[in-house]
Amino acid sequence: MRTYVLRRLLQVLPLLVGISALSFLLLQLAPGDFLNTVAENPQVSTQTLEAMRHRFGLDRPWYVQYALYLKNLFLHLDFGESFSRHQPVFTVLREGLLNTLLLAAAAAVVTWGLAIPLGVWAGMRHNSAVDRGLSVLAFVWLSVPEVLSGLLLLMLAARTGWFPVGGMRSLAWSELDAGARALDLLRHLALPALVAGLTPLAGRMRQMRGNLLDVLQLDYITAARAKGLDERTVVFKHALRNAINPLITLFGYTLGSLVSGSLVAEIIFSWPGLGRITYEAIQAQDQYLVMGSVLMASVVLVLGNLAADLLLAVADPRISRD
Amino acid sequence: MNRRAVYLTCAALGLGLAAAGCGGRSGPAGAFRDTHPLPPDTMTFAMPEAGRYGGRFVLGQTTDPKTFNVMLANETSSTDVDDRMFTSLTEFDNATQSITPMLAKRWEVSPDGLTWTWHLRRGAAFSDGRPITSADVLFSFEVAYDSTLHPSVQDLLTIDGKRIEVSAPDSYTVVTRIPKPYALVIPALGSLRVMPRHVLEPAYREGRFASAYSVSTPPDSIVTSGPWRVGQFVAKEKTVLVRNPFWFGVDSKGRRLPYLDELVWVVVPDQNTAVLKFESGDVDGLDNVKPEDYKRYAENQQKGDYTLYDLGPGLTSNFFWFNLNTVRETKRGKKAGSPVVGPVKYAWFSNPDFRRAVSMAVDRDAIIRSVFFGEAVNNWSIMTPGYKQFYTGYVSPYDHDPARAKRLLAELGFRDRDGDGVLEDAGGHAVSFTLKTNSDNVIRIAVANFIKDDLARIGIRCIPAGVDFNTLISNIREDFQYDAVLGGLGAAIPPDPGMGPNFFRSSGATHYWHMRQPAPGTPEEARVDSLFDQLVSTTDMERRRAAFAEIERILGEQCWSIMLPTIRVKLPVRNGFGNIQPSVIPHRLLWNSDRIFVKPGARKT
Repeated sequence: MRTYVLRRLLQVLPLLVGISALSFLLLQLAPGDFLNTVAENPQVSTQTLEAMRHRFGLDRPWYVQYALYLKNLFLHLDFGESFSRHQPVFTVLREGLLNTLLLAAAAAVVTWGLAIPLGVWAGMRHNSAVDRGLSVLAFVWLSVPEVLSGLLLLMLAARTGWFPVGGMRSLAWSELDAGARALDLLRHLALPALVAGLTPLAGRMRQMRGNLLDVLQLDYITAARAKGLDERTVVFKHALRNAINPLITLFGYTLGSLVSGSLVAEIIFSWPGLGRITYEAIQAQDQYLVMGSVLMASVVLVLGNLAADLLLAVADPRISRD
Repeated sequence: MNRRAVYLTCAALGLGLAAAGCGGRSGPAGAFRDTHPLPPDTMTFAMPEAGRYGGRFVLGQTTDPKTFNVMLANETSSTDVDDRMFTSLTEFDNATQSITPMLAKRWEVSPDGLTWTWHLRRGAAFSDGRPITSADVLFSFEVAYDSTLHPSVQDLLTIDGKRIEVSAPDSYTVVTRIPKPYALVIPALGSLRVMPRHVLEPAYREGRFASAYSVSTPPDSIVTSGPWRVGQFVAKEKTVLVRNPFWFGVDSKGRRLPYLDELVWVVVPDQNTAVLKFESGDVDGLDNVKPEDYKRYAENQQKGDYTLYDLGPGLTSNFFWFNLNTVRETKRGKKAGSPVVGPVKYAWFSNPDFRRAVSMAVDRDAIIRSVFFGEAVNNWSIMTPGYKQFYTGYVSPYDHDPARAKRLLAELGFRDRDGDGVLEDAGGHAVSFTLKTNSDNVIRIAVANFIKDDLARIGIRCIPAGVDFNTLISNIREDFQYDAVLGGLGAAIPPDPGMGPNFFRSSGATHYWHMRQPAPGTPEEARVDSLFDQLVSTTDMERRRAAFAEIERILGEQCWSIMLPTIRVKLPVRNGFGNIQPSVIPHRLLWNSDRIFVKPGARKT
């Protein structure tokens, strides 16, 4: 087990080199650089631009820049400095990553907390009114874009005052005690989590239903029913454990799409997450900030997959990792 | 099978989530009581009404400040905040559009106009109580002139390629000597923000100046010279400024400013969300509103308890220009000095009459009605009607007149030789060009499409192309790969044509249509260059205005930049605040932030 985890973690290193090389190359191929916004200002002279380019090291050939980056990354665990903020990349990203994880976790609770029971329910009542109703709902959800549902929910919040209009904390946060803070955070979290969580819900629910239906047709289920077990035991004890395996794998992958997955919700709800930092960094061509965020997202993906594999081993004793 | 490992992994994830919930501290205190004695030299600010202490003003911002180091702040999200925290020798009063004393209580100039003596306010102090003296001004100059850091203020402080000589005969006197008479000495020196030497010099000597005063620096250790200092910063969420208890500004009753306890920026990246946040009362003002929303704001003023201020035409001029740039160095079969667009297009673009015909094809009133929802005015100059000192009322002789445009093109030998509705030149080349603009700007894209239709009516094929902002900048500044570009020129502080040497001078880096010319390429550009020298070398306002009026006329005659309408600026501010005096000059709402106060009885705190 331990060697398995270690081996998986070691595999990350070459992966990170590959990912960083690719993203660096893409950034180099993209037209312009970080100083384009400065260049647009008519009061800035060409000499100033050149001096800034030199200060940021942008006047060196790309392979020299990349070699230096790799050296600092692996020898000193240094992700470089953000051009726009004059701060270490890691400092800039750390907070955003935690906020994004919080939103993603809440969204995951919404998605999986609804998808699994609803999927099971639909699967048990195959072809019934419940099943059809849920299918219709699922397709409606699937076809409403996140932007629209997000803005509609925000309008609801603005009209009714039930929820805050975006943001992560109220302005009065610092005057609140711990309990009030938790409540405040939850109120701010509710709508973005709902928007980010409802989008993948339909797909996951259909998947759960399909898996369960497949399993329910297998011989051992027929055997279990023939033994005279009641339907609840058949479904929850025998069928569900097998039907849920593919969803655990999927769960790991959703961790990987963290950054992009909640971007829309982050922007509409002013959520201070990694997606927004990355998006702004790409627009501004703040290259080391972009690379740092891509690398962090990759690490989260790898860890997520690892967690999913381990969870799978727990759920299904047939799978051995040794 | 080791279950414990699994649980540990999950627990680690959970811990990370819990940590994300932790936040900052400090908040508004009770009623403010001024505990520090006022300095001998206070600065009394004129204002519509004397206010009272307390409360906060919350503003929406699309992104957060990147640094609190005002010297290295390069974009508005940072300067909007940083400029409130660091004062300078002089400041620009947006209401009157004139220069006012600030840290320098008065100044004298020698008869030759070269030596300027600045008398600093006695008793002026930084936010930690230490006095602001000439040593701090000298230190700020040293940093501004640093060749490694190269702050962008260096360009403003460089006159004719030379530095300003600075010395300090005593703690409260600074003497500056400029290499030649220069009209913008006061605003140039006013753009230098004074930073505390006693805090920053060690960092500067050790080469750590760029990371000093970053957004992660503890707020208490950021010592400021202006009315505000940092109270709290939460990345991507909010920036809270609190009063500098030692600020030398007072009101007419001799009470220390600022009135407000807190000045808050809340980050709202999405414009639609910003509207909702304003309407729900979370935000007290917005300083950037889309013209299509004006009507909605105007209608809801009563219900939402706010006022939509009409600031009049903005300072940004919009125009498009043809590429007259020449190849810099010979490669890929293009010889240095030959036109980038090739000889055929260059023959069209370089002909003033062709450009005039294009200008006359554009139906600007239709653009105002459709793209700007009527919220724009015709504008014929870089100095839009928003510039009080330099607006002349000049009107171009080449406004919308398609019939005249057609006649002019016919005289130039353009005819539709093959009957396809598109003109051909004498060599049989169909007159067609692409008009690039940045695709993220919805208004510009719409304007480009109007221009396309207008030009089609006189037989010119124009192909609008939206490209990525960064690509567009590279095209304009580096590779010149374009026929025509639709762009604009924003405002500088102070709003003075002398602030735009790079645009007006033929050698300038933003003399878009033909940049960085070693010598003026046309007699008209040579004339503009010499007029611009006059404009910046005298302080006599009448002569400066006359020089600019002549530049404006030449630009209008030549149509190098074909002018388009300028937007009318409106912005909503919640009622219940006093001394709100929004202006088109940045910062539109907070230029007098230390004088804004919460009126008695207002429901907001």
